[in-house]
Amino acid sequence: MEWAIALAAFLASAVEFVEAFTIVLVVGVTINWRSSLVGAFAAAATLVVIVATLGVALVQWVPIDYLRLFVGIILILFGLKWLKKSILRYSGLKALHDEEAIFEETMAEIRARGETVAPRVHPFGVALSYKSVLLEGLEVAFIVITFGISKTAGSNGIASAAIGAAVAGVLVILAGALIRAPLTKVPENTLKFIVGIMLTSFGTFWTGEGFGYSWPLSDAFIPILAAIFLLASFIFVTWLKWTKQRHQATGSVSEAVMPTLEEEKIQQ
Amino acid sequence: MKVIRAIYNFIVGDMVILVGVLLTAVILGLINFTGSPLRSLTGIILVVAVLITLLVTLYGELRGRF
Repeated sequence: MEWAIALAAFLASAVEFVEAFTIVLVVGVTINWRSSLVGAFAAAATLVVIVATLGVALVQWVPIDYLRLFVGIILILFGLKWLKKSILRYSGLKALHDEEAIFEETMAEIRARGETVAPRVHPFGVALSYKSVLLEGLEVAFIVITFGISKTAGSNGIASAAIGAAVAGVLVILAGALIRAPLTKVPENTLKFIVGIMLTSFGTFWTGEGFGYSWPLSDAFIPILAAIFLLASFIFVTWLKWTKQRHQATGSVSEAVMPTLEEEKIQQ
Repeated sequence: MKVIRAIYNFIVGDMVILVGVLLTAVILGLINFTGSPLRSLTGIILVVAVLITLLVTLYGELRGRF
């Protein structure tokens, strides 16, 4: 066991695992756990196939920058979509989405027809979870391989790096399991708002990296990006509320423009 | 056409966001692959472009309601 290699791989992999697990967690809490876990396990299976097929040659064959760019752009698209809806809801321009009411209404309709349902797999949730775990998992594989075959590593380099990464993965999953319960108590729109901020932040970060840009402070810049988008969102909410109040004062706004629960259901 | 529409709705469902993000990616691609001196500003350009895209789509929603 080479402790220096294992520790370096542990620390580097922990950052990647936290990034992947954050998205798996928010997909689980906001969409459903089935979709989130299906995506995560499918990505893990893909990773196993890629690593087993390419082995150490992975570092040469997988164009990680192009993958970062693709995943980053998709995450920005997803993130902005969620952020826009949440901002409109906070500002009162869109009705607060009552997921529970919609669920109960749908369940009542299904029960009335004498049918039963299993929690469905949501393609959006599966895709989000899959892409994030695949990208971060590939980065962990890169870390293990590059640390494992570095000049300072001996004959057990890859095994030591793999142990370090595996311990990091287990610790991150345990920590995530602990914070899962408190997260479910957060109001739905707040969760979606946070998810929108996170997806946009991760997406921006990975897109920048995909273009070969090195962010200041490396991965530690992600919270700074989140803070920037959070601040901007608060400004946008304030601006929309102010505009709405101004129009209400002049009587030019109609409540009819707010979507009904039925319209919300169709939009989802 | 139905498939394309389903994919579009699944990923983004908002033309302003789609055009804004893709345009930003094309501009950054040109800046980075032509070796422009603006390369060092990639991060700032990306963050500002994402915020402008969000602002424009929110403005569009606002105009549609008043």
